[in-house]
Amino acid sequence: MRNTAATDELNAGFRQGFDSMGRDSGQDRAIVLTSWPSVPVEIIRAAGFESVTALGGPRGTPAADAMLESDIFPSRLRHLVEKALTGKLDGVAAIVLPRTSDSDYKCFLYLREFVRRGVIGSLPPVLLFDLLQSANARVADYDAERVSDLFDKLLALSGRRASPEGLQQEIASANDGRAAARRLLGLRVGEPRIKGSEALPLLGAFWQVPAKRYAPLAEAATVEIAGWPSLENPRVLLAGAPVDSVNVHAAVEAAGGVVVAEVSPFGSGVAGDDVVVNGNPVTALADKYRRDSIDARTPVKKLRQWFEDSVESADAVLLSQPPYDGVFGWDYPALCELLNRRSIPHAVIEGDPGSEPTDADHDRIVTLIGEAAEKKAARYG
Amino acid sequence: MADKQLESTIAAAAFQKQWFADLRRRVFDEQQAYALVQADVPFELFDLLDIPAVSNQWWSSLIAAKRQAPAFLDAMNADGWPDQLCRYCSLGFAATRYPGAGEAPWGGLPRPRLLCSRLTCDCIHRVFSLWAEAFDTELFEIDHPGASELPPRWWELSRHRWRDLVEPHRLAFVAATLADLLERLEAIAGRRLDMGALGERLEQVNRQEEIFDSARKLIAAAPKTPVRMTEQIANVMATQWVRGTDWALDHAQSFHDEISRRVDEGIAAVPDERARLMWVGAGLWHDTDFFAAFEASHGAVFVWSMYLAFGPDGYIRYGIDDPMAALASRTASFNEYLHNPPWAPEWIVEQAREHRIDGAVVLHPKNMKPSASGRLFIERALEEAGIPTLSIEGDVVDARAWNPAAARAMVRIFLDERVAR
Repeated sequence: MRNTAATDELNAGFRQGFDSMGRDSGQDRAIVLTSWPSVPVEIIRAAGFESVTALGGPRGTPAADAMLESDIFPSRLRHLVEKALTGKLDGVAAIVLPRTSDSDYKCFLYLREFVRRGVIGSLPPVLLFDLLQSANARVADYDAERVSDLFDKLLALSGRRASPEGLQQEIASANDGRAAARRLLGLRVGEPRIKGSEALPLLGAFWQVPAKRYAPLAEAATVEIAGWPSLENPRVLLAGAPVDSVNVHAAVEAAGGVVVAEVSPFGSGVAGDDVVVNGNPVTALADKYRRDSIDARTPVKKLRQWFEDSVESADAVLLSQPPYDGVFGWDYPALCELLNRRSIPHAVIEGDPGSEPTDADHDRIVTLIGEAAEKKAARYG
Repeated sequence: MADKQLESTIAAAAFQKQWFADLRRRVFDEQQAYALVQADVPFELFDLLDIPAVSNQWWSSLIAAKRQAPAFLDAMNADGWPDQLCRYCSLGFAATRYPGAGEAPWGGLPRPRLLCSRLTCDCIHRVFSLWAEAFDTELFEIDHPGASELPPRWWELSRHRWRDLVEPHRLAFVAATLADLLERLEAIAGRRLDMGALGERLEQVNRQEEIFDSARKLIAAAPKTPVRMTEQIANVMATQWVRGTDWALDHAQSFHDEISRRVDEGIAAVPDERARLMWVGAGLWHDTDFFAAFEASHGAVFVWSMYLAFGPDGYIRYGIDDPMAALASRTASFNEYLHNPPWAPEWIVEQAREHRIDGAVVLHPKNMKPSASGRLFIERALEEAGIPTLSIEGDVVDARAWNPAAARAMVRIFLDERVAR
C-alpha cells in the first residue's frame, strides 16, 4: 500500500482509540466505548462524545482469561474485559454493549457483576443497548424507545441538552461518511484496486474517526486508490463469524489471494444504506441499526441474501467458524450447497479471526488460494 | 438405572407415554394441530386452546435417554454442521432432518402446525428456522430483550413483586408479544381464549408450584433425602409440561404426599447417606445412572437440581390482575435466573445452604453457550460460600465424547479429597 496522509490518518484512527485507552484520562473522558458497532454513533456524537469500538487483537489477555469462560467470548470482548480489569477503562465516559449478540449481553452482565462482587473497584457507567433484530412486529417501536433511552442516558452523562438539530447534523455527517465508505467499497468490486487487509482499516475507521473528518479522508483515499492498478489475484470472500481485524485477510493475501468482501461491520457492512429521516430521527436510527447491524442476531435471511449477492464476484470463499461461534456454523451446509452448485472452492478456518491464523488454518488458506488460482487460470487462460 | 422408589415416578412416565400416544392419534387420525415449542414458552396459552405443545428439550432428553442421540448427531455432522454447535436444542431438528439415521422415540414427531421459540440464545433463530423449513411449517418467534436492572435476590421479588422484577419496557414488550402469539393460536384453534380462563389457569399453576415448594422444603429439611434427584426431575418434568391442569395438580399432590409419607416414616432414598450433592446444570439425559453412581461407594446422594426448585421460585405469581403481564414476567428473564450473574450464583448458593449441600457438581456443556457462560461465577460463589465445587465437562444429550468411567473417577476423587466427612 502506498500510504498517503489520508490513509495514514484512517489507519491510525481505526485502532488508536481502543489501543491507547487508559493512557490519557483527559482524552478518555470524552469517549464512549462500545463493544461492537451496533450502537448508533450518531447519538454518541450528538450527546457530545467520541465513539471508540473495542477490537480484537493478537496480544494476550491474562487478566480476562482468568475470569472468562473459554470459547464464549471473541477476542474483542476479551480485550475489553482485559482493559476493564486492569484499570484502563476507568476514565471513559461510559461503556455501551449492544444486545446484538449473547456474548455482548453476557459481557455487560459480567462487567456489572465484577463491580458488584468487588473484582473491580469501580467502572464508568456500563450500559446495555437492547437493540432487537427479529421480525417481530413489536420490535420497531421497542428499538426506537431503546435508542431514545440511550440518548437520554448519554446526554445526562455529558450534561448536554437534547437538540434535534444536533442529532440531525450528526446523522447527515454520518451519511456523508457512509457515502464515502460506499465509494471506497466500490474499489473492491469487480477488479479490485485494494487488498482487503488495507481496505478494512480504512473502512472500519468510520466508527472511530469523527464523522466530519471521516468523509473527506475516505474520499481522498478513494481518489488515490482509484488510480492504483487492478489486482489480478483470486478474489476471496470471507464469511461465517464476523471479523474485526485483518489477520485472516493478511494470511489470505500473503498466500496470493485478495479479500474483496467480508461479513463485518468494519468492512463490507460498514455503510449499508443511509439513515433516512422522514420524521423522528430516533426512529430512523433505530430502523437503520436494526436493519443493518451485523452480528449473531442478524436474521439469517438477511445474511444469506448478502452472501448470495457477494459470492457472484468471488473466486473462493473462506468461512470462519471460531470456537466461540454457536451461530454462523448453522449456515454452513446451505452455503456449502450453494458454493458447490456454483463450483466455487471454499474452506473452513477454525481459529479466532481476532488472532493470527493457526498452522492448520494457514494450510487451509494456502490450499484454497492454490485451488482458486488454478480455477481462475483455467477460466481466463 | 437405579430402581424407581416412588409410585409417582412410575405414574409420571406412564402419563407421558400415553400423552404422546394421544398426541399422535389426534394429529394423524383427527388432523388436529399441535405445536413444537421451546421449554420456556408459556405452555398455558397452547393448552387452553387445545393445541398440545411438545417441548423441544423434553423431546431431546427422550432421544438421548433412548441412546439415539449419537446417530442423529453423526448424521448432522456428516452433512456439514460443525461439531461445536449446541446439541440440546438441535437434536430434535436432527431427528426430523435425518429420520433414517436413528430411531426416534415412540414413532417420532408428526408435522406440527406451529413452531414457537423464545430467542433466548443466539442460535435459536437458526435452529428453529431450519426446523420450520424441514417441517414446512410456520414459526413464531418471541424475541428476548436483555435486562439492565439486576436484582440479585430475584426470588424474593418474583411471587408478590413481580412487576418490580422486570423493567416496565421489557414487561410490556413480552406481554405484547405473547398477545400476538395468542392471536395466532386463536386463529389456529378457531376460537377465542377467555382471559378469565387464563387467570384461573395461572392460579392453578400457583397451587401446583406451592405443592412443589412444600415438597422442596420437605426434601431440604429431612435428615436424609427421601427422594433421589432423578425421581424429582422425572416427576417435575412430566407435570410442568401440562402445568396447571387437573392431572398436573393431582400428580404434584401425589408426589408431595409420597415424599411426606417417606419423611414421616424415616425412609431415605439412600439409607447410608453421608454426603449431599447438588447438580448444577441441565440433566445428563444420556447417562442418568451417573447420579446414583456414588451412593454405594461414598454415601453421596444428589439431593438438588434446578428442576424442582425453579418451579416455585420461577413460576409463582400472586396478584394476577393482568394474566398476560404475569405470564410475561415469568417468561422475560427465564434464562438469566438460571445461568447468569448476579441471579444464578445468588440463587444457587441460597439453595445449597437450604439443602445443606456438601458438594456441588457443575456441568460444563461447552457447546451450550447459555449454560457454559456464567458457570465460573456460580463456581466461585459456591466456593466462597464454603461449598466444594467440581466442574465436569459433558453434553446433556450427546454421549459421543462422554467417558462415563472417567467422569465417575473425577467425582470419586472430588468426594475423597474435598467432600468426605
